[in-house]
Amino acid sequence: MIKRYFSLLLIVLISLRLSAQVWVVPAENETRKSPFAFDDASRKAGSDLYYTNCKSCHGEPGKNNAIPLVPPPPDMASAKMQGNSDGAMQYKLISGRGPMPSFKNTLSATDLWRVISFVRSFNPSYKQEIASASAAAGTSAQNVKIVLSWLKETNQVQASISGVKDKVNQPLAGAEVKLFAKRYFGYLLVDEPRTTDALGKAVFNFPKDLPGDSTGYVQLVASLTNDVAFGETKADTSLVIGVPTYRPPLTEKRAMWNVVSKAPIWLLLSYTIAVFGAWGFIIYVLLQIRAIYRAGGRKEND
Amino acid sequence: MASEVNTDFLHNKKLDSIAADILRPVGITQGFIVWMGFLGISLLACIYAYYIQFDKGLIVTGLRDYISWGMYIANFVFFVATSLVGMLISSVLGLIGLKWVKPIARIAEIIAVAFAAIAGLVIVSDMGRPERLPYVFLYGRIQSPIIWDVTVVTTYLVISTLLYFLPLIPDLAISKGRMGHTPKWLQQTYEILSVKWNHTPKQYQILMKAVRIMLILIIPTAFAIHTVTSWLFAVTLRPGWDSSIFGPYFLTGAFVAGSAAVVILMYFVRVNYKLDKYLTTHHFDMMGKLLVLVSIVYLYFNINEYLVPGFKMKTAEAIHLHDLFVGEYALMFWSVQLLGLVIPIILLLFKFFRKPFPMFVISVFVLVAAWFKRFIIVVPTQDHPFLPIQRVPHEWMVYHPTIVESAITMGTIILAVIIITILVKFFPVIPIWEVAEEQNELDSKTKE
Repeated sequence: MIKRYFSLLLIVLISLRLSAQVWVVPAENETRKSPFAFDDASRKAGSDLYYTNCKSCHGEPGKNNAIPLVPPPPDMASAKMQGNSDGAMQYKLISGRGPMPSFKNTLSATDLWRVISFVRSFNPSYKQEIASASAAAGTSAQNVKIVLSWLKETNQVQASISGVKDKVNQPLAGAEVKLFAKRYFGYLLVDEPRTTDALGKAVFNFPKDLPGDSTGYVQLVASLTNDVAFGETKADTSLVIGVPTYRPPLTEKRAMWNVVSKAPIWLLLSYTIAVFGAWGFIIYVLLQIRAIYRAGGRKEND
Repeated sequence: MASEVNTDFLHNKKLDSIAADILRPVGITQGFIVWMGFLGISLLACIYAYYIQFDKGLIVTGLRDYISWGMYIANFVFFVATSLVGMLISSVLGLIGLKWVKPIARIAEIIAVAFAAIAGLVIVSDMGRPERLPYVFLYGRIQSPIIWDVTVVTTYLVISTLLYFLPLIPDLAISKGRMGHTPKWLQQTYEILSVKWNHTPKQYQILMKAVRIMLILIIPTAFAIHTVTSWLFAVTLRPGWDSSIFGPYFLTGAFVAGSAAVVILMYFVRVNYKLDKYLTTHHFDMMGKLLVLVSIVYLYFNINEYLVPGFKMKTAEAIHLHDLFVGEYALMFWSVQLLGLVIPIILLLFKFFRKPFPMFVISVFVLVAAWFKRFIIVVPTQDHPFLPIQRVPHEWMVYHPTIVESAITMGTIILAVIIITILVKFFPVIPIWEVAEEQNELDSKTKE
């Protein structure tokens, strides 16, 4: 009875807590739309992204097999999920909340829309509205290339961006660029996003203490914020600009978790001393039994 | 045990009557054959159960991925725990110089030897591939408490066996000439095992020294064996196991289980062998007091073990404690704590309940509860791993011991009882020479 009362109370409390935490989406984000039409290609790409990044928590769409977290990750095919506008979905993907991580630096803007394209494929009544051309403002270009170089004197990284515009390959001015350093998981944003000057160059201040690999290599990735207008462009360059860092593997030194040949000295000593000590006495006592036997034998011989 | 032995008792006439009393039940009797027959047939059924497990693997048990330590490991902890009493009685109380433990000391050592010997087998019962047992020694890591456990269990078994055997030597020599009613092979066994003992002062001197070394050595070994057994659990982060008092908690619990086992065996010996002259109401009274003492200490550790995490109620601990106090395991938990600890403590405070029969009944409750207490310690923790359990069959999430598993567990208990029966039936169960020596001392005092 008490158990039932408590579980009821718990359910009430949890639902109160959840209803108090509606995920508010700002009005300007609410109305954002995808700059491109969702098609089979975008749905396929979105599906791959979904199964890599989202499925572990949200489960397979339509199967209601999300993992039990608080708040529960909604199923993609659910009315709750499909009730979001495209813009709201994009906002939630970018910002994250609680156990839901932010995908701002993990997925590109285009990839985010691809995921939404895939999610929408589970809603038969969905009609896509595409952003008007003016929304995707700014210049656009083809065959955009980003080249990264290191300005040693000022410890800065320079991104030079060019692209084919009006059929001429030329520097791209006024494009916003982000610079990332690759980490074990995800990317670290380096400096602020910068906008290219008239020569198509943007300069990032590079920190002096960023750890690189054992020879100081740091893998840098630069991408354009507006990858819808410029196409998906990424520079992926390794430069020797980090602090050379040698991280010894956890199995290098003697440790409790290591193999037996790398057991801690104190443990080897204590174990050996204890075992030899105890068994030394045991063997001594076994020899005493022999001594008793001999003592008895002598008397008989006398 | 005094280091100087006055061998005058050998010439005291009372030695004959003491030896006659104690040796009367030794040998093969009809009761023994019936009892061993019963144990043997039951054991065969259990061996068949083990054959099934050996053939099909651990799938025939209730053990699965999440709850991989079940009845077997609980049983192992119970066996190790019960065997510790040998150290408590013959060593700690004996070295203090308490005279009343002398007739009981061998009974305690019998319990120690039988339970320590089977403890190793119990571990093998938990192995799906027992033929890989040598791998423990070939590829074992010295950093693993499992290796420490294997080491100390073996050492403890050897020391316990020596502590059983060494004080038996003079008794074997005394018995040799008084065994007319027993089979020849048993007499020959006595002849061999008595290692030419003929009561010379030199032999007594060597024996007393050897016994003394073992009595001292067994104390750290016994502490190590059960502390290490507790570390098998306590070195993890899991709720219910992640505790800094697990060592002393296990140790004191072991004394409760062991004392109860000693009382049960004392009662059987006293009633079946009509040895009430040697296992007197006084001995039961003293064992009752000992049981109260160790139970109160264990209760104290129980309060620490449950109240402190219960006060903090960290998320994972709270789920675990909820399971124990009001959840799935509540009935078992409270039965164990009340019937096996709190009520025995209250009852044993009264002299009436420290008489042999009430003591026997109470000890049975305590010992059975001790087994279930190990189950409570081992199993519920694994119901809630820190990793989410997703999309697994229901039987993986709850643990229900199977009949095969229960039969194998029962088999290990039967094996221990068989060892106890053989030691009790074929050898003097009460140290003849020590009782005679004490009697001689009493006699010479009254003469003065």
